[in-house]
Amino acid sequence: MSDDSNAPLNVRTFSQAISDALDEELARDDSVFIWGEDIGTYGGIYGATGGLFEKHGPERVIDTPISETFIVGGGLGAALTGLRPVVELQSGGYFGIAMDELYNKVARWRYMHGGKFTVPMVVRLPEGAKGAGQEHDVSPEALFLSAFGAEIVIPSTPADAKGLLKSAIRDDRPVLFFEHAVLYATSGPIPPGDHLVPIGVADIKRPGSDVTVIAWSRMVIEALKAAEELDSEGIDIEVVDPRGLRPLDKDTIFESVEKTGRVVIAHEAPKTGGAGGEVAAIIAEEMIECLEAPIVRVASKDVTLPQSRHLQQYVLPQAAQIVDAVRSIS
Amino acid sequence: MVTNQQQVKFYEDMVRVMLWEQRAMRLMQEGKVLAGYHSGRGQEAIPVGAITPLRDSDCIMYAHRGFGYTIQKGMSMVDMFADLMANVGGSTGGLGAGIPHFADPKLGILGQGGTLGTCFPIAAGAGFSAKYRGTDEVTICFFGDGTSNRGTFHEALNVASIWKLPVIWICENNRYAVSVPSEKSTAGRIVDRAIGYGIPGRSVDGMDVVSVYEEVTEAIDRARSGEGPTLIEAECYRFRGHHEGDPQVYREDGEIDEWRRRDPIESHRQRLIDNEVAAAEQLDGLQAQMASEVELAAQEAENFPMPGPERVFQGV
Repeated sequence: MSDDSNAPLNVRTFSQAISDALDEELARDDSVFIWGEDIGTYGGIYGATGGLFEKHGPERVIDTPISETFIVGGGLGAALTGLRPVVELQSGGYFGIAMDELYNKVARWRYMHGGKFTVPMVVRLPEGAKGAGQEHDVSPEALFLSAFGAEIVIPSTPADAKGLLKSAIRDDRPVLFFEHAVLYATSGPIPPGDHLVPIGVADIKRPGSDVTVIAWSRMVIEALKAAEELDSEGIDIEVVDPRGLRPLDKDTIFESVEKTGRVVIAHEAPKTGGAGGEVAAIIAEEMIECLEAPIVRVASKDVTLPQSRHLQQYVLPQAAQIVDAVRSIS
Repeated sequence: MVTNQQQVKFYEDMVRVMLWEQRAMRLMQEGKVLAGYHSGRGQEAIPVGAITPLRDSDCIMYAHRGFGYTIQKGMSMVDMFADLMANVGGSTGGLGAGIPHFADPKLGILGQGGTLGTCFPIAAGAGFSAKYRGTDEVTICFFGDGTSNRGTFHEALNVASIWKLPVIWICENNRYAVSVPSEKSTAGRIVDRAIGYGIPGRSVDGMDVVSVYEEVTEAIDRARSGEGPTLIEAECYRFRGHHEGDPQVYREDGEIDEWRRRDPIESHRQRLIDNEVAAAEQLDGLQAQMASEVELAAQEAENFPMPGPERVFQGV
């Protein structure tokens, strides 16, 4: 691993947390292997597979050609025949190249073949804006809401990244695992031992009583920043991180909304077609009588993200937009 | 050398595949199959010849033309008929209909995708898995000439070659991708692509079950001994339309009659008789036996009920 020797042992970066999870699962189970572009000797372009090639060898930490349909479809073939692949699309933006494999095959193979198979496979998709251009800087998780066989998992902290990835690898269902690239360098404490986080369980990242802010991925960090600012104004927000979209932990969300009666949903994907629409609709359908104000969505503007970081500030949602949204319904 | 017994078995197996399809078509005519069908008539020698040398633990990714692949790999004909009728007796428990996604992990039947070209990466992954697990299992991937033009073909054949994966790529070149003739859609000879990937390429008469069997057996031997993949192009022809109801306006005059003279089942039968491997009466007897086996399977399959709404949310 690319250890930062200055950091205390239990504090790891998000990318170290990913490589720790992979390392532990590779060591635990011979049927686990990983492949992707530049994940071997190079250690992954985000360093999330650093050291694994040296430790687990070229048979289990495998550099593939630039062949995304093979990376995903080949992973499926291995999953159908007794292995537990963890495959990486170097950029989540490559989902489109392998969309048939992801959406029609990985997610559906079990169902369309009468439940005859399990598909114990994880697809890691680095997502989010990081200055790599329109096609790379995407947050496509909502596109998979109708890929019903697949779970959608999205960690926001190193501890969640490690615990969720380990659970995903042990899960017999296919998991689409979205990692925001800006989070890779963030760090945080990780519980010791065999740290597992159950899939489909939301986490209250900050308890509060006035407004529920449902946020995932990078927007959890922004929501926590917003909470500090709002706190000084006497507004106490509760930050609910669903840590994924399927299974969606409706219970935790509903409990929070019942308490606050006010909801902001924040994600980095554009508002139109973003998963916030789905979450908002579920809340409206099932508990509109609890709402004391309209649901507000905080998301990227409805435009292709410009490559210029200067222009990106006018498109991407930050803490300030969450603060404004909360104020507007408080 | 193929034994006499195996020669007769080839006949029996091809007849079974043909009769299964005939019976399936009767079910369609009776309105009992609620979807389309892609006939495999004329191409029976390929699944029968290629799958005969496989073990149960070997895998196949089958093509959509006919059901010879799954029958030959050992699936129950009752299950398959029931799948066509989408009742609960089917292997998919009622999800089936005309183009069912048959699968059986125990028989190495990995299923099929409805989008052509899906098979290539999945087959390569299965080949990787066999090698990773330290077995000498092989995977056969069946596909048509039209499907060979998908980009997935390249990604999978490239990786299969560099990693020496135990996969046999079998192209059934029946000359048409639905309606478009091969010469208008496909550059060069498909088998020659093997040169580019640095793997053995073999051309075989896909209307001759013995040739298919022999060529595939050699490819399997190479794959089992760690020598990697082989690309086989089997020249063949489909006697019916792409799908039932296809007006077939694209065929050239007389073309089909010429190919019908090379009917894989008829020509093999004639060879058995000419070489005195089997008498006509014996083969007629086998055919009658196959017909009754198929008929019994169809009747048994018709007895199952249709699934209820609870089926929709099972096995998600």
